[in-house]
Amino acid sequence: MDGFGADIDGPLIAVRAVHFAATAITAGTLVFRTVVTNPASPAEPAVAQSFRTQTQRVAWIGLATAMISGVIWLLLQASSMSGLPFDEAMTSRVLSTVLSQTQFGQVSEIRMAMAVILAACLAFRRTPLTDWLALALALGLTAAIAWTGHAGSTLGELGNLHLAADVLHLSAAAGWIGGLVSLVVLLAAARRHPATAWAQLARDATRRFSILGIASVATLLLTGIVNAWILVGSFHALTATGYGRLLMFKVAAFAAMVAFAAVNRFWLTPELDSAGGLPGDVLHRLTRNSTIEIVLGLLIFAIVGMLGTLHPAIHLVPG
Amino acid sequence: MQRSSFGAIIPLLLLLASGEASAHALLDHAEPRVGNKVVTAPHEVTLWFTQKLEPAFSTITVTDPAGQRADTGKTRVNGNQMSVSLRSGASGTYHVRWHVLSVDTHTTEGNFSFQVGQ
Repeated sequence: MDGFGADIDGPLIAVRAVHFAATAITAGTLVFRTVVTNPASPAEPAVAQSFRTQTQRVAWIGLATAMISGVIWLLLQASSMSGLPFDEAMTSRVLSTVLSQTQFGQVSEIRMAMAVILAACLAFRRTPLTDWLALALALGLTAAIAWTGHAGSTLGELGNLHLAADVLHLSAAAGWIGGLVSLVVLLAAARRHPATAWAQLARDATRRFSILGIASVATLLLTGIVNAWILVGSFHALTATGYGRLLMFKVAAFAAMVAFAAVNRFWLTPELDSAGGLPGDVLHRLTRNSTIEIVLGLLIFAIVGMLGTLHPAIHLVPG
Repeated sequence: MQRSSFGAIIPLLLLLASGEASAHALLDHAEPRVGNKVVTAPHEVTLWFTQKLEPAFSTITVTDPAGQRADTGKTRVNGNQMSVSLRSGASGTYHVRWHVLSVDTHTTEGNFSFQVGQ
């Protein structure tokens, strides 16, 4: 599509958005169950096992979606890189050139290998060590996206700073937005089963997740400023370019997410501490706000899907 | 969020993304310099870009004043720098066409000319 001045590649944007969201949900789910619920749950084994089964299902769906969308992204990118129509680009010559001779292709191969080992970890869980390995692989799968984008091509020392900021930005986004999915699953289960063990797990996990949330927001804000400074460069470029305007829209969605998270953290979470059982209306509002945060997070992934296909503002506006 | 709201988001995103035409200022500088005049025909043309390039999908072609290929055909890429050797040639206007893929997967292309002679 070229009717808007910029070259808008619909399928590529869509598959990138799906891939980012699926990767984040996979990583965030494993962060949640390894770092948030496991240490927080002296819960009875049946409850812990039941929650584990549910998060395992989310992780599998996320990983399968990430793998399928990752392959489609590679194929669409091969067509775009070679300048050939999609069906003509699907030759072994083009694909092997992309895989072996471009940074995007090599990073895609490494990420696919990590995804396969992660799948093996999920399938053959033997020890707690496997859980930590799965978490490390899922975060690696997320962080490696930095090398496929603008950060991967920034020159010199600034390039290293850009990569470091992007790695942290991606990991924090996955921990927060992906973790929210597990939180909603847990809160929903706690509402269905008002038994004390579920209430205890939900209360502890919500409290621990709010610490993770604050750390993620701080990291996202700091690394987001670094990335924007490198890719946009000026306030003028924020308003003068499509890239800058989209970025402002993304920041607005982020601010709305933070607002809902703040209500959860400073009003609703303390109310969980007061009673022995969990107050139903508080649970309901926590679940609703977290779901709205997830929807805003998915909107951000759609924006990121598009931002990465645009030329950064700093290249479009003379300094 | 309702389905209709999602439907409304796509045109909004497209609207936000609109604005820039083809202002792909990826070429930083070149040697011989863009539009410049040099006394003798250079042995090679070198271009510097604002980002790292992918060698597999980045090329330069140079045509001499007669419209014939003046480059030896093998483009060399190193980081953000790309060059091609030239056959010895006549005086007049040379046209340089470049097509690059940056490491972040953006394709851009452009052209410029330089002059050889007194």
